[in-house]
Amino acid sequence: MSRSTVPDPRRRLVALLVVMGLAFAAVLARLTVVQGTASSGYAALGQSQRERKIVLPARRGSILDRNGVELAMTVQQKTVWANPRLVRDPAGEAAALAPVLNVDVNDLRDRLSGNGAFAYLARKVTDDVAAKVAALNLPGVAFIDEPKRFDPAGPLGLSLLGAVGLDNQGLSGLELQYEKQLVGRPGALVVERDPHGTEIASGIRQERPSAPGDNLMLTIDRSMQYETERALSGEIEAAKAKGGIAIVMDPRTGEVLAMANLVAGVNGQPPQPAPSNLAVTNVYEPGSVNKLITVSAALEEGVIKPDDKLIVPDQMMVANHRFSDHDPHPTGEWSITDIVANSSNIGTIMIGQKLGKDRLDKYLRAYGLGAHSGLGFPGESAGLLLDPKDWSGTSIGTVPIGQGLAVTALQMLEAYNTVANGGTFVPARLVQSVVDASGVRHPISSGPSRRVISTRTAQQMTAMLSEVVRVGTGTSARIDGYTVAGKTGTAKKPVNGSYNNGLYEASFAGFVPAEAPRLSSIVIIDEPGTAIYGGTVAAPVFADVARYGLRRFQIPPPPVALNVAVPPASTDAIKADAGADLPPVTPAPDAPAPATTLPAATPTTKP
Amino acid sequence: MAGLRVPRNAAAPWRHLDFSLIAATVALASLGIVMIYSATNHKLEQSGIDPYFYVKKQATWIALGAVLMAVVATIDYRRLREFAPVLYGGAVLVLAAVISPVGSNAKGAQAWFQLGPFKFEPSEWAKVVLILCVASYGASHRGELSGRQVLGVLVLAAVPMALIELQPDLGTNLVFMAILMAVLLVAGARPRHIATLTVLGIVGSVAVLQLGVLKQYQVDRLTAFLHPTGDVRGSTYNLHQSVNAIAAGSLTGKGLFKGTQTNLGFVPEQHTDFIFTVVGEELGFAGAITLLALFAIVVWRTWRTAGLARDLFGTLLCVGVLAMFVFQVFENVGMTMGIMPITGIPLPFMSYGGSATIACFVGVGLVLNVHMRRFA
Repeated sequence: MSRSTVPDPRRRLVALLVVMGLAFAAVLARLTVVQGTASSGYAALGQSQRERKIVLPARRGSILDRNGVELAMTVQQKTVWANPRLVRDPAGEAAALAPVLNVDVNDLRDRLSGNGAFAYLARKVTDDVAAKVAALNLPGVAFIDEPKRFDPAGPLGLSLLGAVGLDNQGLSGLELQYEKQLVGRPGALVVERDPHGTEIASGIRQERPSAPGDNLMLTIDRSMQYETERALSGEIEAAKAKGGIAIVMDPRTGEVLAMANLVAGVNGQPPQPAPSNLAVTNVYEPGSVNKLITVSAALEEGVIKPDDKLIVPDQMMVANHRFSDHDPHPTGEWSITDIVANSSNIGTIMIGQKLGKDRLDKYLRAYGLGAHSGLGFPGESAGLLLDPKDWSGTSIGTVPIGQGLAVTALQMLEAYNTVANGGTFVPARLVQSVVDASGVRHPISSGPSRRVISTRTAQQMTAMLSEVVRVGTGTSARIDGYTVAGKTGTAKKPVNGSYNNGLYEASFAGFVPAEAPRLSSIVIIDEPGTAIYGGTVAAPVFADVARYGLRRFQIPPPPVALNVAVPPASTDAIKADAGADLPPVTPAPDAPAPATTLPAATPTTKP
Repeated sequence: MAGLRVPRNAAAPWRHLDFSLIAATVALASLGIVMIYSATNHKLEQSGIDPYFYVKKQATWIALGAVLMAVVATIDYRRLREFAPVLYGGAVLVLAAVISPVGSNAKGAQAWFQLGPFKFEPSEWAKVVLILCVASYGASHRGELSGRQVLGVLVLAAVPMALIELQPDLGTNLVFMAILMAVLLVAGARPRHIATLTVLGIVGSVAVLQLGVLKQYQVDRLTAFLHPTGDVRGSTYNLHQSVNAIAAGSLTGKGLFKGTQTNLGFVPEQHTDFIFTVVGEELGFAGAITLLALFAIVVWRTWRTAGLARDLFGTLLCVGVLAMFVFQVFENVGMTMGIMPITGIPLPFMSYGGSATIACFVGVGLVLNVHMRRFA
């Protein structure tokens, strides 16, 4: 009975208590870690498996014309989707849906019997298709609203506006360039699900509404655009051309009022929008239209004066190449105006040679050639200008007459705008402003203006250009009651390095009213199949478009007369009605040189 | 004499009822009911069933358990000792029957008798019977157990444990081992025997895991807590969901019935083995601590009674019950937080389940019995 030999159960109980205490402490420590220090990490993990985020696409901003008329807008359309887990008879439902949705029946059956809880059946269907599907009342088939891009004006300006993809992302054109502003901020629907993917009614349903994208207000005038496309389209068909480009601008502000890019339709279809905005993405050799730069540069540099006369043959050798005028003529004494008005290649080359390649190159670049316009348009080309040190021997023959260099239509028109503006280059603008959701306009600035030639030179040049239209190669651009200034161009089109293929780019660039220019335009007809001359094919389009623009923008003939600082072009016809067409000279303050009437030049041919 | 209280009655058992233990037990059972409601009402409602379906059944079990607790407490535990051989024999027979075609199979274990709408799980009852038997055996050796006697206890336990392993029910056998170790310790087994058994237990566990005794899914589940970032959609799915739910509760919880992981049913077996995750998510750290404090009261009162008991049998009864509660709480709560392997062990008084709940109440009845007769 010695108690000491028997272990005391009480001491053993204490040992047991210690073991239990340790277990309790372990649980407590773990609990503190899980719910305290590591809680947020676990909680986030739990949330991520519980919640499903559904993106609510934002309504894409509209593209508006200068008056707020919608050119591209977004409408909500029904998208048909299915929850395959709720579909009991995939084959039957596929058979019912296929004819309505116009989707392959096997494809539909595969989607309806997929593993997930969501499958698109057909996206952005028309309202009547959606109604037909709803009437079928198929289990597991449902709808969501998706925004669809819609062009209320049809294909109008399409190559300019660009395209959007199925998810409303900009793919080309302005839609791509201004994607960030147009796209908006997508909203989110947060849905809590149980482990089977079923949405729980009691779960939190957070909705962050989508914010619509900003609207884009263009400088384009919808009516002007329509009329420009109509006129261009008509000419492409009439001239059996491959396509055409036409731009209309307000030279004072650089605003683009219309930018049309069409290609001939196939199989007798009417012309269609070009796949890209050729006016800024496509380069061409400007040909005679470029003579504006050569002549104005020479005037500005003082190597020629308006009343100079040159002895102009109808052909000459430069390096090893023979250049000729478009039509043979006897060698004669031609005024500068005659050279411009009759688009004499030889006369212009002679002027270019006086000027020299470095000064010519300087002016080409000063007019904006060889550099991006600043529009930032996707795929825009800077054109191609050779460095003068890379010029070949014949370059001084080709470049003055617009060959051996490539420009975009917009670049060329901006050169004419510079002359129209009295020598000041005003960068082009296509987008006026971004209009945010609250209607506040945020203007899009264009680059700074710059002087390229003096006002005087510009006026002299303008006078010469109006002679082109009055009596020269561009008479088809005449508009009754207005003085039109402009220049024709007929350039051979190089294909695979060869010019001898009979393909031409016929163009006309000009502005009106010459006295105080408000509208300018360039028209390029690509590969005309009938007549090839710019004066024949492109100039009438210019007249059509400008005539409409003058009415549309209510531009009256200016009360002041053109400062004629150059002698009129001298043909028999010109001499006959020169007095009638040209009002008495009233010099502008910055054009001190009065008009000098010079003797008539010899008549020349004019295409 | 009517109306007079004489000092002789001071030893009357009912005057020494342990009300703290009863209060803690009732509080745990009540909290359990609320948590079961929270874990099940959404799913039931979605299935168009009475959302109180499980709550009503559990309340019935608790009431039945309380009655049995009273009955067990009423019969002097020293008389209960006489039933030990009979109860042992009965338990072995029933455990043998349940793995025969008479028993029912659910979730891969042959562990139940289906009696009409009720399930009867004999292994839960066997725990109480084992406590009674090993306490009785241990108490008959006056606080000192020789190696042979320790072996005798092990053989006594081995028969029901083998039958349970055939179900298979690994969790219940772990509880058995905890009971055995605790009773052997306090009954006077020599330290080196205890140490030997502990080493054997560890070696045995490793061997069982390594030697392919268990099925691969069992091994995967048991070892999942050792590599919690493993197969989150497979063997560690349960663990992940469980820990996520508890962590979501943070300090103060998401609020009663507002636990999202709970309401959405991410945690499997949540109203039974994983009931602690409901407490953890909805009532947070504060609620979990309160729950553990209630268990601490139960443990403390039981431990205290073990020390106060009038005889060694009473002490060992309490130690057996104590080991059962402590091991189950530790294992259950530990597995929900990834510090113990996942085995099917219910949380006492809290987890839904008739047999387990009633067995726990019977255990408390035994402790009350010992406590109130400590002077008699």
